Amino acid sequence: MAGLEQATSGRVTVLQEDISAMSEAELAQFRRGRVGVVFQSFHLIPSMTALQNVATALELAGQPNPFDRARKTLTALGLAHRRDHFPKQMSGGEQQRVALARALAPNPKLVFADEPTGNLDATNGASIVDSLFTLTREQAETTLILVTHDIQLAQRCDRIIDLRDGKICESNSA
Amino acid sequence: MIALKIAQRELIAAWRERLHGFRILMLCLIFGIASISAIGSLRGAIDAGLNSNGRVFLGGDAQIELTYRQANAREVAWMARQSRAQSQIIDFRSMAVAPTTNKRILTQVKAVDSQYPLVGAVTLSDNMSLSEAFAGRDGLPGAVLAPALLRRLKINLGDEVQFGQKSFVVMATLLKEPDNFGNFALGPRSLVLIKGLEDSGLLAAGTLFSSKYRLLFEDGSELGQAQQRFDRDWPGTGAKWKDARKASPGADRVIERMSRFLILIGLSGLVVGGIGVSAAVRAFIAKKTGHIAVLKTLGATPGQIFWIYTMQIAVYTGLSVVLGLLLGTLAPFAARPFLPDNLAEVALISIYPSALIEAAVYGSLAAAIFSIWPLAQTEHIRPANLFRGGAPAQWPARRYLIVQGALLATALFGAVQFSGSWSMTFWLLGGIAISLLILALISGAFQFALRRIMSGSAFQGLLPLRAAFSALASGSERTGSVVMGIGLGLTVLAAVGQIDGNLRRSITQSLPDKAPSFFFLDIQTTQLPEFNQRLAENPAVWKVETAPMLRGLVTKINDQPAAEIGGDHWVLRGDRGISYADALPEKTKITAGRWWGARYSGSPQISFAAEEAEEIGIGIGDKLTLNVLGRDITATITSLREVDFSTAGMGFVILLNEAALRGAPHSHIATVYAKASAEIPILDELNQAFPNVTGIQIREAAALVTGVVSSIASATSIGALATLLSGFLILIGAAAASTAQRAYESAILKTLGATQREILTSFALRSAMIGALAASVALGAGLLGGWAVSHFVFENQFEVIWINAALVIFGGVGLTLITGMLFALGPLSKSAATELRQRD
Repeated sequence: MAGLEQATSGRVTVLQEDISAMSEAELAQFRRGRVGVVFQSFHLIPSMTALQNVATALELAGQPNPFDRARKTLTALGLAHRRDHFPKQMSGGEQQRVALARALAPNPKLVFADEPTGNLDATNGASIVDSLFTLTREQAETTLILVTHDIQLAQRCDRIIDLRDGKICESNSA
Repeated sequence: MIALKIAQRELIAAWRERLHGFRILMLCLIFGIASISAIGSLRGAIDAGLNSNGRVFLGGDAQIELTYRQANAREVAWMARQSRAQSQIIDFRSMAVAPTTNKRILTQVKAVDSQYPLVGAVTLSDNMSLSEAFAGRDGLPGAVLAPALLRRLKINLGDEVQFGQKSFVVMATLLKEPDNFGNFALGPRSLVLIKGLEDSGLLAAGTLFSSKYRLLFEDGSELGQAQQRFDRDWPGTGAKWKDARKASPGADRVIERMSRFLILIGLSGLVVGGIGVSAAVRAFIAKKTGHIAVLKTLGATPGQIFWIYTMQIAVYTGLSVVLGLLLGTLAPFAARPFLPDNLAEVALISIYPSALIEAAVYGSLAAAIFSIWPLAQTEHIRPANLFRGGAPAQWPARRYLIVQGALLATALFGAVQFSGSWSMTFWLLGGIAISLLILALISGAFQFALRRIMSGSAFQGLLPLRAAFSALASGSERTGSVVMGIGLGLTVLAAVGQIDGNLRRSITQSLPDKAPSFFFLDIQTTQLPEFNQRLAENPAVWKVETAPMLRGLVTKINDQPAAEIGGDHWVLRGDRGISYADALPEKTKITAGRWWGARYSGSPQISFAAEEAEEIGIGIGDKLTLNVLGRDITATITSLREVDFSTAGMGFVILLNEAALRGAPHSHIATVYAKASAEIPILDELNQAFPNVTGIQIREAAALVTGVVSSIASATSIGALATLLSGFLILIGAAAASTAQRAYESAILKTLGATQREILTSFALRSAMIGALAASVALGAGLLGGWAVSHFVFENQFEVIWINAALVIFGGVGLTLITGMLFALGPLSKSAATELRQRD
């Protein structure tokens, strides 16, 4: 759905666009500003500071004043004091909050969160999840798609799709 | 014992992985060792060739050389008594004239007797024998000419050629001359019989020629004893002895110094290789951090850990030494077709253990010096690193620093011993060390500056550039080792290019502005007035200088052998042109002492060149004994003069008062300054009027010297390319090591919406910037080195050779860019999802 993999058959339509027929370059254009991803392992660019990591997403989205907006987002997530730090200088929880800021800062239509708490302790995990839900709900046009094995966490979502062995088993609205 | 077992297990595992991770380390060492052993083996082959063919190159067991004269009856009788066979040759420069084409070309004439050659064989065209060739045809004596001379005279076999006033018929071309190794000649060779030169006017008293007598002794004769008898019986004659034990001392010296220099250049390749070794060992230890932490958890001591990995590196070094030596031994066999003809003929290519030992010692020491630091880091790895990632780099324990210092001192001592020259080793290795330091400091400063710049919101909107700067600042691109590796090779290339370019410019471009058009030799005193008259009447000639010219050897300084006082100074090494004057010559500047008065006829006095006097360590009041035409003249230095050799004009180091030399048979030398367009007609006119006079065109001589300079520069550049190749290996190592990092960065950027083009641009920018940084620093260091050598050694005015500078910059950027791009395509083509999933 994020256009990171090419479909081998069938069609994938996301945000009214058929992404299965898109080339690599078109998929990149498609993601810019419309799709944000939060990974289990954070995946920040190691050679960039927290601020630069967040600003990069805004720059690619073509949004004005990317660094100012990145600063604001990091401050909102309580990372004002860490914005000039490199990923290896931050704790796992801090890195995941930077990843969250990077995904949400461009105000995307879709945010994919793939096991966002998988690599975090319980306290940090809860804090990240709170931020994730609060911020996406604040952004009226943003839909959060959360992938998790944690049933309790899944129940905080508006709609739950149960996947087993790659197949949809159930689809419920909360 | 446990350490050995674990090391053995890890080695087997690495072997199963086809030495992945050690290939760059081994290649760096193999190339360095191979280049040093190849140069050493080639030198060994040439040395062996010179030694085993000493008799052939000399033309006999021994040679007695007289300058300016032939042996007298007493000396001929001595040679006949001492040896079983003798042969005489007379060597001189002359003009070869082709009457049919009216061409005049400078030639080096070798006039021989019927015994020539005593050893070896001359090969002529059509398998003609020398006696057949010299017999001539139609009443004219025969001559043999080098093919180049025949071509330039535009004549064929059977045509007439004149030397001086004598005509010869060209009977054959000279294909091989056994006794011509290592001789530098301004013109191609002509061979004639000495008898044929009678009445040519070329061997008149005072003309410049050398007479060489080759001797063959009874079998089993001791050459050392023969030389002792010569020293005893020929004192004060000016005769020089040479024997088959050291047949070509000049060539020996050049080959020895050149090969030593090239080995030191090769050593710079090994230093660069060492940086590659260091980077590879560091990466190896970083990869093994978890493994080492586990071993420590299980109770392995720091000492055991150190030896586990040191033994592994030693095995890879040993393997590299063997492969490097193998390659270095085979290289001269492969290089034989590309060697200059005379060297290819001489070289006895074989296995020379001393060359291999030298290369093995250098290779092993380089590996030890550069790997000890990263190996010492194993001490700082703690079991806790299993949970907290790699250990930060720390200063090694004192004992490792002491061992490293001792190894470095051994390497320096070895380099001095092997090169045989403190100064050459000091300057070259000092230059390498300073260049590396500059490269390291500047790349460090560059990264520091980038970190400062990149800490804010610099380069907003320029994502590829910002990502490139961030990567360079973070050190993920191994900027330091690549800049040092590539930079050192480029520095040597830049310095060689600048020195070579400046030397060539000074010879070919600046010289003609102030240099004369010709030198004329062998002008007889009776010919001088007409010679001057003709030139004075020629409107194209604007200046003529003439001086009496004799040749003499400085044998003693203050009654002691000259070499004991002045060492190996060039003025004392052989015959020097000397002259005399009565009144102080025009524009001569006396720097010390006083010029003898006009018509001075007292005891002999010398005016000596000031700079050379200082170099030799002599001055006013010192007594020199000169051997001129077999007679000793002792004279006192009463003045010192400024002599400028850079203009190629008239300049004599030794000038005597007229009365001291006037009676000695001699000729005159002239320098003629004329318009370039009139040079050939002047040469033709004067040669027709004075067939015995030899004219040397400065332009042609300069081209020959430029050729020699170019070959030295080419040899050095090949050495520098070997250094660059080692740098290239480091570049490949760094590019390969950063592949995983780049694949990761590429995947994240793709997820954020960056296109492949933007990511590729960022990768290209970082490669180009590393190349540009290395090339700029190398150019700066190369220019500095080039300026220092031009200014202090050659005393030339220095100008930047822009073509070389551009080549260094574009070469450096091109090399890193192409390599970077080749290694970027892999990471770029990887699916972002796959890459990121692998890291989850």
